Amino acid sequence: MITLYDYENSADCYKARLLLGILGLKFDIVPVDIFPGDDHRRPEFLDLNPLAEVPVLTDDGVTLTDPQAIMVWLAARYDDRKLWLPGAAESIAMVQHWLGMAARLAASAGAARTALARTDELDVAPLQAEAHRLLRVIDEHLWFAERERRFWLVPLSHPTIADLSCFPDLALSEEAGIYHIDYPAIRRWLDRVKRIDGFSVMSGIFPASRGGTATVSTTS
Amino acid sequence: MNHMSPPPPLSPVWHPIAASTDLAVRHVFHGKLLGRELAVWRADDGHVNVWDNRCLHRGVRLSIGMNDGAELKCQYHGWRYASRSAGCTYIPAHPANSPSRQVTNRVFPTIERCGLIWAALEPDQPFIGLPQADWFAAREAIVHAPAALVLNTLAAEAVPRSLAWLSPYAMRLARRAAPDETLIILAQPADGATTIIRALRAGAPADANAWLRRINRVFVTLRDQIEAASPAGEAAAEPDFTPVAAELAEPAPAATAGLTVTVARKWQVAADVFALKLKPLAGTLPAFQPGAHIDVTLPSGQVRQYSLTGGPGENEFWTIGVRRMPQSRGGSRQIAEQVREGDLLSVSAPRHNFPLRRDALRSVLIAGGIGLTPLLAMAKALRHGGHPFELHVFSRDAAHLPFADTLRGFGDNVRLHLGSDPVQTRETVAHLLGPHGFAQHVYVCGAPGLIDAVTRTADHLGWPDEAVHYEHFSNDREINASSSFTVALARSALDVEIPAGCSMLAAIRAAGVSLPSSCERGACGTCVVKVLEGVPDHQDVYLNAREKAAGRSVVTCVSRATSQRLVLDL
Amino acid sequence: MQTATDIIFDNWHPVCAPPSPGAGILRTRLLDVPIEVAAGPRVRRADNGEDPPVLERFGLVWTTLGRPRQDLFDVPEYREPDRRNLSAGPIGVAASAPRAIENFLDLAHFPFVHTDILGAEPHTEVKDYEVRTSDDGSEIIATGCEFFQPLAALTAAGGQKVDYIYRVPHPFCAVLYKSCFVDPSRMDVIAIFIQSMRQERIRAHLVMSMIDEVHSDTEMRRFQQMIFGQDKPILENQRPRRLPLDPRAETPIRADLSGIAYRRWLSANRVTYGVIPAQH
Repeated sequence: MITLYDYENSADCYKARLLLGILGLKFDIVPVDIFPGDDHRRPEFLDLNPLAEVPVLTDDGVTLTDPQAIMVWLAARYDDRKLWLPGAAESIAMVQHWLGMAARLAASAGAARTALARTDELDVAPLQAEAHRLLRVIDEHLWFAERERRFWLVPLSHPTIADLSCFPDLALSEEAGIYHIDYPAIRRWLDRVKRIDGFSVMSGIFPASRGGTATVSTTS
Repeated sequence: MNHMSPPPPLSPVWHPIAASTDLAVRHVFHGKLLGRELAVWRADDGHVNVWDNRCLHRGVRLSIGMNDGAELKCQYHGWRYASRSAGCTYIPAHPANSPSRQVTNRVFPTIERCGLIWAALEPDQPFIGLPQADWFAAREAIVHAPAALVLNTLAAEAVPRSLAWLSPYAMRLARRAAPDETLIILAQPADGATTIIRALRAGAPADANAWLRRINRVFVTLRDQIEAASPAGEAAAEPDFTPVAAELAEPAPAATAGLTVTVARKWQVAADVFALKLKPLAGTLPAFQPGAHIDVTLPSGQVRQYSLTGGPGENEFWTIGVRRMPQSRGGSRQIAEQVREGDLLSVSAPRHNFPLRRDALRSVLIAGGIGLTPLLAMAKALRHGGHPFELHVFSRDAAHLPFADTLRGFGDNVRLHLGSDPVQTRETVAHLLGPHGFAQHVYVCGAPGLIDAVTRTADHLGWPDEAVHYEHFSNDREINASSSFTVALARSALDVEIPAGCSMLAAIRAAGVSLPSSCERGACGTCVVKVLEGVPDHQDVYLNAREKAAGRSVVTCVSRATSQRLVLDL
Repeated sequence: MQTATDIIFDNWHPVCAPPSPGAGILRTRLLDVPIEVAAGPRVRRADNGEDPPVLERFGLVWTTLGRPRQDLFDVPEYREPDRRNLSAGPIGVAASAPRAIENFLDLAHFPFVHTDILGAEPHTEVKDYEVRTSDDGSEIIATGCEFFQPLAALTAAGGQKVDYIYRVPHPFCAVLYKSCFVDPSRMDVIAIFIQSMRQERIRAHLVMSMIDEVHSDTEMRRFQQMIFGQDKPILENQRPRRLPLDPRAETPIRADLSGIAYRRWLSANRVTYGVIPAQH
C-alpha cells in the first residue's frame, strides 16, 4: 500500500499527488502539520526523513524522501505504457535534466513562495532573481518547442514526469512574486498540463477551461 | 543592403501586443500596453478579443479566467462575458435574472495583421501598419527598460545608412553584424519600465530555425546588457491602476438606444416561416442572453418583437425567425413581402424578459411552431455549457417545422411532436414533464393554448411557479394603470409618466435626462436620487431601514412610489 | 492622518501567537510600523522604542499603535469547554485587509474557488439574506445566509444545505458561524483576524472554534489551510489591491449585500488605510 506523508499546500507534495491521481493509484495520506505545528521536526518524523521534509512516500517496503525520486518510482513501477518515464537512454537523460530543473525551481521559486506565505524574514529577492533566470530559459525552450509542434518539456509527443515535476513551482510562482506575464510560452504550457487526463488541482491552481487541445493555434 | 523603398510611417497609437500564434486555443493571453493590463483571447470563430484585464465585479484579472470558445468566465464568481461585445451574459449567483447591460467590459480596438495582434488604447484611430508582405517574425524579447532606451541601443548597432524611424516605437535597420538583412523592429511599450521587442523580416529565411535562434540570441544578449546597466526597480510587473470610478460613473452609451442592421440573408426555414440574418451596419452587436428578443421597427413604423436564435459565440450576426400569418395586422406580412436582402432595419438592443438558468439539473424546453426561436437559443447555450436538456417541438407537420436542419444537429436532445391535437398535446406534456425534482425547470414558448397546457399541467404535477418559465408571442401589452405614477424632475422642470412595468430609471432616461446606473437590481446604489416630495415605495436592498423610513432617497432602477407623484432632485 | 478616534489606529490588531520562552524575538510589522514580540508577551515598536499595550485573546497576541477606547470584541463560543480551538497559522497574502475581509464574507465564489468543497456548479444561487448594522454601529451582522455545500466540513456526511451567519466586529476582523453537523443546536465558528503589515500586504490569522470529537488538530488545520489557500490567488489577482469605497468603482449585485454594507461602514467610519476612499 502506498502511503504519502503529505502537507496540503506543499508544492513538492502536490507533485506526488498529481502523478498518483493521473496513474489512478490508491494511496493513504498521512497529514503532517508542517506549519504551524512543526511536526516534521519531531523525532518520529525524523526517523522517517532525517532531512525533516515532506513528501515522504512509502510503498512495499521502499521509503523515498526526495520529491523527484518519488516521481521516478511511481512512473517506473506503475506506468505499464512507459510514457511518463520512457526507457530509452536519451529520454531518461532528458527527463533527468528536467527533474534537476524541478529541484532548482523548488529551491528558488518554491522557497520564495514558502517564505512569503510564512512571512519569514528571509530576503526573497535573490530567490526571485534566480527563479526569473530559470523561467527565462524555460520560456525560451518552450517557445522553440512549440515552433516544432512539440508541446512538452521533453521533445516527445506526450508529457512525462518532467512536466509534472516542474509544473507545481511554475504554476504557483506568482505567489512567490514571480509573475507569469513575462513568460507567455510557460503560460500556454501550464494550460496544456492542466488538460492532461486525470489532472487534479491544489490550492492556488485553477483548472483550465474545457475543450482546447494540447496544440498551439495555427491561425494567423 | 537591399533596395527596399522606405516604408510609410506607422501609426504611433497602434501597437503589437501579441503574436497570432500566442493566442492558443481556449487560452487567455496576458498582455500589457502603456501600463494597462489586457486580457487577450481568441474565440472559436477566430475573433480576437482585447479587453481591460479586470472583471467589473470585484476587479479580479480576467487573464486568469477561462476561455470556453464563446465566452470568458471570471475565476472568482463565474460571471460570463460574451466574445466581441464583452457584455456579461450570466451571473451564477442570480441564475434567474439577466445581467444588466451596464455590465460590459471595456473593449479595445484590435487588428490582426502580419502575424501579429495589434491594439490601440483609444478608439477611432486609423490603423497604419506595415505594407503587405510575407512577414516573418522572430521570438519577442521582454526587456525591463523603457522603449526609447531599447530602440536607441539597437540603433547604435545598425549600419548607419540603413536606419529609418517609422514611428517613435518602430524602426527599420540592418545590423552591422548582418548588413544584408533588413529588419523591422517594433517596440511595444508594455509600461514605462518594460518593452517588448519584435523583429520582422520580409520573407521567411532559408533556414528558419537557425535564423530564429540567432535573432533570439541577439535580443537576449541585448536584454541582458541593458538590464545589467540599468536594473529595473520592482515597479515593472505592477500595472498602473487607473481608477475605474471615472469611467463607470458615465452611464454606458446607447444603453437603450437602437441600432441599424442590414439584412444579410433571408431564407425559408418552414412552409410559413423564413429567417433573417442581421448584420450590424457599424461596430459590434451588443451582447445577448439566450431567450432574448429584439424590437424590430417595420417600414410602416410598427414595432414587432422577434427572438434571437443564436447560441454563445454566434454574435457576429443575429438570426430571427418570422412567421407569416395571413390574418396578421400586417406586421409579419410586411417583413415577408417587403424586406429584402440588403435592406436596412432599425432594431432595439436585446431585451431579456425570458432568461435561461444555467444551474438546472434538468431543463425541459417546449416549443410550439415559431415559439421555437427563443428556445433554440436556449438549447444552444445549454449544449455549449454541457448542461442536460430536452427540446420538444410541437408542429402541425414536418413542412411547418422551423429550422429543421438546426434541430437535426441536436440529435437525441430533440423530440418532435407532429400533428398533436389539444388533448394529445396535454397528455404528451404531462408525460414529458413528469413529477418535479430538485433544480428542474421548464421553458415554454408558443401559442397561448400550448403555454396554457404546459403551465396548468406543470402546476398539476407539482412544479413550483419559479420552475416554470414562459413567453407569450403576442403583441398585446396590457397597461396596468393602477401602478403607474408621475415623477416630477425639479431641476429639469419635466414631468415623466412612469407606466406599470417601466422603471423610473428607464422612463427618466427615455425623457432625455441622464442618470448613471450599474447593477440595475437595487443593490449598488449608483442610481440613487434625492426625493423632495412624495412617498417612495422602496424595492431595493441598498438603503438601510432608517434611510427607507426617512424617504429622502430612492433607488430609481427598482423602486416605485406609493403616492401618485414623486418629486426628484434631478 | 489620524483623527480623534481613528477606528484603525486606535484599535487592537493581532500580531502573532504568543511566543514561547526561549523562542527569541519575533519581528513583524503592523500598519507599516516594525514591531518586535517576545515571550511574556511583550511588544516593542522598533521605530520609536515604545512598548505599546498588549492583550491575549483567541490564542493570539494583540497590540495597538494608538489608544483604543474599548475592549477588543468577544466571541463567547470560544470559551465553551468542549470546543476545539485552534489556529490554522498566520498566512501571508499580497492583498489589503479589506479585500480579504470582503472575500471572507462572500458566498457566491464557493462553487468556483472552493469547487466540490464549499460549493459546486450548478448550485450557484445565492438567495437573499439580511444584513444590518448593530445599534451602536460597531458591528455588521449578516443572517439568513444559506448555501448548498458538497463538503461543508470534515464532520459533514455528503452534500448539505448550510446556514451561515457573519459578523464584522472590527474593520479588519470577521467571524463566521456555520451549521454544526455534530450538534445542530450550535454553530461552528471560523474567524479571520487580519494583521495589516502594510496597506497591501497582510498576515491572515485564521482561528477555528469547532465542535468535533473525531478529527485531529492536523486534519482540521489542513482543511482550513486548503480553503484559505484557494482564496489566496484570487486576492492576489484583484486590482486595485486596496478596496475601492466609491460605489461606482465596481459592480456589486444582490448577493454582495455584506460586501456593500462593509464598504459603506468603512466609508462611514472614515477609514483610509487599505482602501481607496470615495470622492465626494
